[in-house]
Amino acid sequence: MNPTTIIAVAGPPGSGKTTWIRQFLASKNLTAFYCCPGMGEESVDLARIGYCYPSVQVFPEEKTPEVLSNLPDRALVFLELGFHIDVTAPPLSTLPCRRVAVLPPGLENSPQSSEWHEWADEVVAGSEVAPPKSEEMPEVWRTVLSGRVFDAPSLDEISIELTGDAYGKVQRMKGIFELPDGKAFYVDFAAGLSGIEYTELPISRWLNGRPDRFSGIEVTGWNLDKKTIADTLLGSCLPDSAIASYQEQYKAMLANELEEIAQS
Amino acid sequence: MKLAVISCIHGNYEALNAVLSDIDDCKADEIYCLGDLVGYGPHPNAVVEMIRSLDIPTSQGCWDEDIVEGLNACECSYPSQLAEQRGRLAHEWTNEVIHPEVREYLATLPMTLKKDNLCFVHGSPNSEHEYLLPSMDGFAALERVMSVDADVLFCGHTHVPYVRNLEEATLAVRVKEPGKGERATQLETPVKKIINAGSVGEPRHGRPNATYVIYDTDTMQVELREVPYDYKLTCEAIIDKGLPPIFAWRLARGMEFAERADDPDHVCQR
Amino acid sequence: MRWAILSGIEGNLPAYEAVLEDIKRQREKVDELFVIGDSVGLQGDNEATIKRLRAPKPGELNPQVCIGWWEEQCFCLHGLSGLPDAPELVAKHGVEGAEALWKSVSRESVAWMRSCHFGFFESGCLLIHGSTMGYADELTPETPAIQLCDRLIRADANALFCGRSGRTFECWVTPEKLRSTVTTLDEVQEPKEQGKTPRRVVGVGSVGHEPGQASYALYDSVGDEVTFRTVAYGRSKGFG
Repeated sequence: MNPTTIIAVAGPPGSGKTTWIRQFLASKNLTAFYCCPGMGEESVDLARIGYCYPSVQVFPEEKTPEVLSNLPDRALVFLELGFHIDVTAPPLSTLPCRRVAVLPPGLENSPQSSEWHEWADEVVAGSEVAPPKSEEMPEVWRTVLSGRVFDAPSLDEISIELTGDAYGKVQRMKGIFELPDGKAFYVDFAAGLSGIEYTELPISRWLNGRPDRFSGIEVTGWNLDKKTIADTLLGSCLPDSAIASYQEQYKAMLANELEEIAQS
Repeated sequence: MKLAVISCIHGNYEALNAVLSDIDDCKADEIYCLGDLVGYGPHPNAVVEMIRSLDIPTSQGCWDEDIVEGLNACECSYPSQLAEQRGRLAHEWTNEVIHPEVREYLATLPMTLKKDNLCFVHGSPNSEHEYLLPSMDGFAALERVMSVDADVLFCGHTHVPYVRNLEEATLAVRVKEPGKGERATQLETPVKKIINAGSVGEPRHGRPNATYVIYDTDTMQVELREVPYDYKLTCEAIIDKGLPPIFAWRLARGMEFAERADDPDHVCQR
Repeated sequence: MRWAILSGIEGNLPAYEAVLEDIKRQREKVDELFVIGDSVGLQGDNEATIKRLRAPKPGELNPQVCIGWWEEQCFCLHGLSGLPDAPELVAKHGVEGAEALWKSVSRESVAWMRSCHFGFFESGCLLIHGSTMGYADELTPETPAIQLCDRLIRADANALFCGRSGRTFECWVTPEKLRSTVTTLDEVQEPKEQGKTPRRVVGVGSVGHEPGQASYALYDSVGDEVTFRTVAYGRSKGFG
């Protein structure tokens, strides 16, 4: 019997914690578990891992004791720790696990990035994110957007504005957004890395009313004007009538395509 | 003769002042304006008063029309829902602060101005809302110049200045009519130009500077001018007047407040 | 595929019947029937014509109908679009003409016309009453070449079938050559040559406008060939 491995992964925002974890999730030889302590029951990372790796069991933090006490053989448990979690305090300090810190290159060897080094069993080089300029800890603003469908050009616009610091200094922005063609996208930005990344999620098109599945956004930064961000996000969401009319159009288009394939 | 052509001032008085000084420095003989005096910016009345006091011939822009006629821009002329909401906010604000005599003046503006072989419009000869983008089909662009019987068509509306030379156009036509047989003709046109004057008050070329053009009627030479000014004053005024702060953020980056439409051939059906 | 493309019945039911007969008599079967506007007008019985269009007889083609200039005038009179006093109509046909049209089309028929398309796009062809510029855009062989070229570009079609002029014609337009150079603040772009293959504007004639003589077009979409038909009917046909 292989012992169960619990891996706690920590690092600054955007350093590539999720990316590092993802390389192990596709493996079929083991049962993977994934949790982001401190992020509540639903979070962008949790939902994204669930959407991309249906075989991975994602669980909310509250269920941690339950999950850990009922692990199957050959299980691999990932705990992705937000930068705002105190890794030196219990229960994390006492949990029997392997500790991996994902740090931006340069920072990874520097003795100053003290806290991570002291804590970690292993330090991994991640992405070249901009080191936080401010001494102050950034704040995290999150909101669930489930059921909201975005006007794509507006989503583009607000992403450019948000990541261009129009509503406060942003270190990291990630979100899952639904579009009127029924597709859902993962949108990712980290200060210092070039551009905003849009990735289509491998889930089925939602073409019947408002999607009944998780979508949401997480913004990490300083002096965030949360009210304006929220208002602008809501202003980018389509009303029922528009959602219905787009969905009709896409359904008709898909039906047409099917017909053409059938004919040829 | 040297003409200065300005467009899309959008209530940005600081930018207009800077451009007028630059025009003085360039020793232009006449100034023409392609409309959109108001909308988005914090000083619509002052901009109109300045244009009037200098007697600058001006064609009507879509924003000028909207302030006169009530919001008329079709939904499709906004590229996004967000842009539309912001456009509406800007319209409501401008509509409230505008002086009655300014509104009356805007109502008198013509759709097109002509001077010899030059024509001045806001969007295109078809519509104040049509975007003549540099990527537009060359023959379609040529049609816009020829439809007003001009050699040079000045336009604005896209907020990014450019000059487009259309040379050596040849168009062959063959007509068949029952009972009349067949005939063929060929059309060849001399050089035609589309000159986009950019935007004084709401640039979109990625820098905050004001843009306009100088045209020499004798040499047909065009100079695209880019004029730095203290845009921070305008940004402050935007916030002071209670306009959405995002307008100031975009102005400082040379991003238009409501971005251009993607479909260059789209014409509002209204 | 062979299409029959008609325009301008203008309420002239006998003319439409004559064209339907002519279509049936074609040696090569016609697969589609398009009526590209002006089904109503002042040339006969509008209600009977609409009834005939909406309910083809067994074995007949189901006409695909779009909106034309006269339909738009009905919408104006019913306050559904444009200006309520239909100034275009009054300018052309007087107040009497406007009254006659108002009386000759039922509200239900107007509602049906509202449900019709603005045009059809099939196999690279745009079938529309005027052009994408609008229902009143009248294209003829005398229209400036650059304007025809522009309408084809806007239509993004190899062929533009239209009916506003009521004339039958085929006008091939070849944008042979054009050098375009764009200069922006940041660069002078490489000149672009913008030649293109020939495309055409086709006038499909008028079924009902000229008494006793109906014209329409047949189009073979495989051979890309247009044939114009002129059909004599009613009194002017023979000896009467």
